[in-house]
Amino acid sequence: MASFQAVKKSFNLTPTVRALPSGVPAAPLLNLAARAPADPHAHDAPPSWAGGLSKTSSGLFSKTYTTGPAQRLFQQRLLHTSAVVKDAPEVPDFSGYRAKNTDNTRALSYVMVGTMGVLSASVAKSSVSEFLKTMAASADVLALAKVEVDISSIPEGKNVIIKWRGKPVFIRHRTQSEIDEARSANWKTFRDPQSDEERTKKPEWLVMLGVCTHLGCVPIGEAGDFGGWFCPCHGSHYDISGRARKGPAPLNLEVPVHDFNDAEGKLVIG
Amino acid sequence: MSLSTTIYNTFFKRNSIYVASVFTAAFAFGIGFDSGVTTFWDTWNKGKQWKDIRHKYVQDEE
Amino acid sequence: MLSRLPSGALKQASSAARLTRASAVSSSRSASVRFASSSSSTSSNAFESFMNSRLTLASATLFTAGTVAWYAHLYGTLPFLGEAHASHHSDEGLHPVAYPWSHNGFFDSFDHASIRRGYQVYREVCAACHSLDRIAWRNLVGVSHTADEARVMAEEVEYPDGPNDDGEMFQRPGKLADYMPAPYPNDEAARAGNAGALPPDLSLIVKARHGGADYIFSLLTGYIDPPAGVEIREGMNYNPFFPGGALSMARVLFDGLVEYDDGTPATTSQMAKDVVTFLNWAAEPEHDERKKTGIKAVILFSTLFVLSIYAKRFKWGPIKNRKIQYNPPADKSGH
Repeated sequence: MASFQAVKKSFNLTPTVRALPSGVPAAPLLNLAARAPADPHAHDAPPSWAGGLSKTSSGLFSKTYTTGPAQRLFQQRLLHTSAVVKDAPEVPDFSGYRAKNTDNTRALSYVMVGTMGVLSASVAKSSVSEFLKTMAASADVLALAKVEVDISSIPEGKNVIIKWRGKPVFIRHRTQSEIDEARSANWKTFRDPQSDEERTKKPEWLVMLGVCTHLGCVPIGEAGDFGGWFCPCHGSHYDISGRARKGPAPLNLEVPVHDFNDAEGKLVIG
Repeated sequence: MSLSTTIYNTFFKRNSIYVASVFTAAFAFGIGFDSGVTTFWDTWNKGKQWKDIRHKYVQDEE
Repeated sequence: MLSRLPSGALKQASSAARLTRASAVSSSRSASVRFASSSSSTSSNAFESFMNSRLTLASATLFTAGTVAWYAHLYGTLPFLGEAHASHHSDEGLHPVAYPWSHNGFFDSFDHASIRRGYQVYREVCAACHSLDRIAWRNLVGVSHTADEARVMAEEVEYPDGPNDDGEMFQRPGKLADYMPAPYPNDEAARAGNAGALPPDLSLIVKARHGGADYIFSLLTGYIDPPAGVEIREGMNYNPFFPGGALSMARVLFDGLVEYDDGTPATTSQMAKDVVTFLNWAAEPEHDERKKTGIKAVILFSTLFVLSIYAKRFKWGPIKNRKIQYNPPADKSGH
């Protein structure tokens, strides 16, 4: 619309369509044949060749061309003849939409975006933790992974060997002298320094995996130089707390996770 | 100073505080939302869940 | 359709239209000067008049009706091909009614008291023939029984274990980790004990049957005498809900068959409802947790959706509301 003003100032827009020599834009699909009502005040009468009858091989034909009067000034053709000429460009008034208090709007937008962040972080956190849960052992594995042993029937000073996850587990009901022996030993000088307190939950019960830490043989109970276990394969000696004392074994016998159920006199391994 | 300005200056002005409060709020929201949904679930399904009928079967065990 | 028509017809119609049009134009030239023409070419005129003519309408109708008749004569009745039924509708079984299960809704958990009663029905009635392979004793813990109850029930069953130190297999009382004992050692034994019909495993039966819980309930309570004209073989039973109508399983639930320990009257439908609830739990043990998670997810994601619309509008607002104004260069000539 601004170009209305510009036209008078001989300001040229680059043509977007090809124009006929008469100045009419070439628009083959538009019907430009509408003739304007004869205007007695018009300066230029339509030329004689612009209409009339002609005889062709297929019969009489009427031809009607309309050419607008030649313009001295270039004027943009409008699609709507009803367009109102305006002095100012027609731009909607946005002032009604402007925020009255920009501080409120600013705080609100931060709150909204922040809330989105809060929810997304919460969703992401639970997704990740649920995914990690799938990596944990499933319920049926966990159900099999526990073994309950009735320890009330094990007399003092006796070994019991049970099977847990396919491995033997030694359970020894130690006598008071054995406990004293295990606790008084100078464990800091051992190959794998570990105190007896660390290895047992109750001093009279020693629970450990019966797999030699050297090459995986099953040690023999109540044997060896230290009154504990002795591995017949390569001669590793373990003391009464299951600590490696002599021979090739690099580590103490492993203590599995276990718990005591005092009410029923049971030991739960796993 | 209006409330919105106070909130803006407290939480949003520095991005580090903004991000930190978002993560803190996410943590708190997770706990609160879980317990809220659980409360709703338990109210809606009152008497149907195991924890509602459990007491009938464990009394004599103790 | 047009392409099927002989091309001559089109040509004739168009030339006829042109002739009439030419004479009309020449005679009424003065009238048509101002509104010269609304159609720019003769060929489209021809097409238009062809499309609007009664002759076209009549011939197209005739053509369509003829095609339909010929097709029907060749292949059968319309609108579809003639249906050849190899089976009767009763072979698909009666559709079960949609029952208002206590766990039907979006927010509804299982009725765990019903699961407990249903387990009792399963143990005392169904377990005589049907196995429940995928349910272990530990699954009952915290769902319908306490750990001690489940442990006692498991210990009543002997399970093979071993080998022991002598390499022998031995029997030991069950543990929580053991699965429900099957009534038959294998499928062949099950068939032999049931006149050749295999009682299906019930672990996933609610999911495995069309209609789910409604179907199982309808089947358990739907035994009736065969209607007139329906022949049922010896040893088979008639049930309209069973596809085919005849099944080997007889009606098993009768009023008062089971004595519930919570005092619920053991009517047939009560037992059927309880056992179906139990089997539904067996098929979907995750059901309660799933619905709870679903509530959370729907709330969270719908809120996030609304917020993301806000954020999108917030970000696009300045772009969409931008005003572009053109200021022409200042006029130096002064016109």
